[in-house]
Amino acid sequence: MRKSKKIVVLGHFGVGKTSLIRRFVTDTFSDKYKVTIGVHITKKLVEISAENKMSLILWDLEGTDDIVSIRNSYLLGTHGAVFVFDASRPSTFQHLNEDLKIIREKISEVPLMVVGNKLDLVDKNLLKNVFEEHGINANYLTSAKTGDGVNQLFLNLATLLASDA
Amino acid sequence: MLEKFQEKYANKNKQFVLINKVGKVLESDQILFPVLRGSTIFELHPFFECLYTVIEDEKKANFYGVHILFKEKMFILDISAIPEKEGLLLILEDLTEHYNAYQKITQKRNESVIKTELTVLKNEELQERERFKNSFIQNFSHELRNPLTSITAIFDILSDTALTNEQNQMLNFVKESNNNLRLMLEDTLSIGMIDAGKLQIQERVFDLQKFFELLQFTYKAKANKKGLKFESSWDDKIPKVAEGDRLRLFQVLTNLLDNAVKYTKKGSIRLEIKLNQKWANTANLRFQITDSGVGISEENRVAIFESFKQLSSDVHNKGVGLGLTIAKKLLELMGSEIKMQSTVGEGSSFYFDLNVKYPLFETTPSTISKNRNKLNNKSNQVDQVKFKILLVEDDTYVQTTLFKLLLNTNKFKIDLAYDGALVLQDVISNSYDLILMDVNLPNLNGVQITKLIRDFPFKNIKNIPIIGLTANAYQENIQQCLEAGMQKVLIKPFEKEELVCTIFEILK
Repeated sequence: MRKSKKIVVLGHFGVGKTSLIRRFVTDTFSDKYKVTIGVHITKKLVEISAENKMSLILWDLEGTDDIVSIRNSYLLGTHGAVFVFDASRPSTFQHLNEDLKIIREKISEVPLMVVGNKLDLVDKNLLKNVFEEHGINANYLTSAKTGDGVNQLFLNLATLLASDA
Repeated sequence: MLEKFQEKYANKNKQFVLINKVGKVLESDQILFPVLRGSTIFELHPFFECLYTVIEDEKKANFYGVHILFKEKMFILDISAIPEKEGLLLILEDLTEHYNAYQKITQKRNESVIKTELTVLKNEELQERERFKNSFIQNFSHELRNPLTSITAIFDILSDTALTNEQNQMLNFVKESNNNLRLMLEDTLSIGMIDAGKLQIQERVFDLQKFFELLQFTYKAKANKKGLKFESSWDDKIPKVAEGDRLRLFQVLTNLLDNAVKYTKKGSIRLEIKLNQKWANTANLRFQITDSGVGISEENRVAIFESFKQLSSDVHNKGVGLGLTIAKKLLELMGSEIKMQSTVGEGSSFYFDLNVKYPLFETTPSTISKNRNKLNNKSNQVDQVKFKILLVEDDTYVQTTLFKLLLNTNKFKIDLAYDGALVLQDVISNSYDLILMDVNLPNLNGVQITKLIRDFPFKNIKNIPIIGLTANAYQENIQQCLEAGMQKVLIKPFEKEELVCTIFEILK
């Protein structure tokens, strides 16, 4: 009997996937960028409500230049996905809609959250224009550095998964 | 049971684990870390929970670079999950060393890619700011030029009327203020043009000696007015006629001389031009301006060349702090470099060495003067007739003031037009001797109208002389006007004398 939910966190390299998970799991942050190779897996117990708890198994996948190259085995049995881009680097979101299409082909029936990270590095007003220009619709804007939006992202995803269960 | 698999996949870096369909460990070797028989694999590490799906799917799955921390040691494993009749065979291969090496290479590569991207973005942002600044300066100076043209024209009109001494004095204040404003505008525009890379050095033959005399005359008056002594020195070996950008050289020297006057309270100012070296058709000249002013401290010697920087907090020091920046940048464009020596409390000396070409057969100042006289005679000849001019200008104030100014000369009949689209009809229905054409017009602009006129089949229309009037002083704009067929372009604000002389020069 499975008691936990697998969530894959994916996106281009250097967008802050590892930092987001670290902020959520240990509430810490490091400015030093360390490339993730393969996959790091951590588990966190989330309290959705007083009587409803859920373990999230977070798969922090190696960032890629090309989303197509993500190994299908990493996505096996996933319950939810978080696609992260770096709001300060257009190269990580300028093909966002194509990237999401590819991901959707790989995992079609699970909730997928689109997250613009590194909010602390950008002007929110300018970002709005940039997103409009690229036709981007991000579900969450986060900053792993300040913690803005991070807990909310994972808690909302957990709640969504709990309601789907 | 396990031996048959070990035979097949034997390797010291590989651990074999056999689990049943509910994840219970049936058997395991202990090559990498201990996995106890009877324990549940899913409790060993959260990774193994994904095996539920592999068991359900009954399809082999390979996982690469899985990080598993065991007793403070991080293993990076490739894990194969192979469905067998007992349940699932797991082959855990330790590739930590391989992945760590790969990590180092990828780290360098990714850091470099991100750094490059951020640098490009930063550059784009800076360029965007620069574009905005230059466009702002261009628009701002453009907007100021029209009212300045009106003020200049009104001054000229008023000067020709009967005025009391007091009114004359006040009018002179207006003229001086207007000139100061105009110079500040020119400075601001120049820095914008230099920074945008739009300023080009225009080399033409000019009378260098007359140029020196003009500076001498102007700054002697300015220095004397402030109670300062003005000295100057001209080396007789210098070619009297030179080839260079007279306007920009004038801008450099007037900026340096203005500063000298501004920051000197007592003593003297000296302007010196001497010959360093002379070749077949090139001379290297030293231009030097020395004052006995406040001097510049060592720590401020870089800052004085920065835009909008004034060391003095004295509010009476007029200007926007661009003079030295412009001088420095213009000299760089001319292939020279400004240098300085200064002692606080004793004074400063600014100097630069400049190569100028000179014609082998010099056109002497007297020849130039003769030519000028010829021109004046021709102007006198044309003075006798009234010329019909079409003034095309959409700014009502500029139009009114220029109209009055030209009418007051009693030498022209003026028709007015303000809409580009209607000009052609006016030109066809009347026979004009000259058109004064504002460049920025509604509907059809001055350049477009000029092209239409020049393409007209009838000679009396296609050959009408056109003088462009523009508030856009950028070289490319002027070039565009000339290429369209305008004979001359006057940059607003211009003085009556400049306008009238240009008209006569074209009409001659």
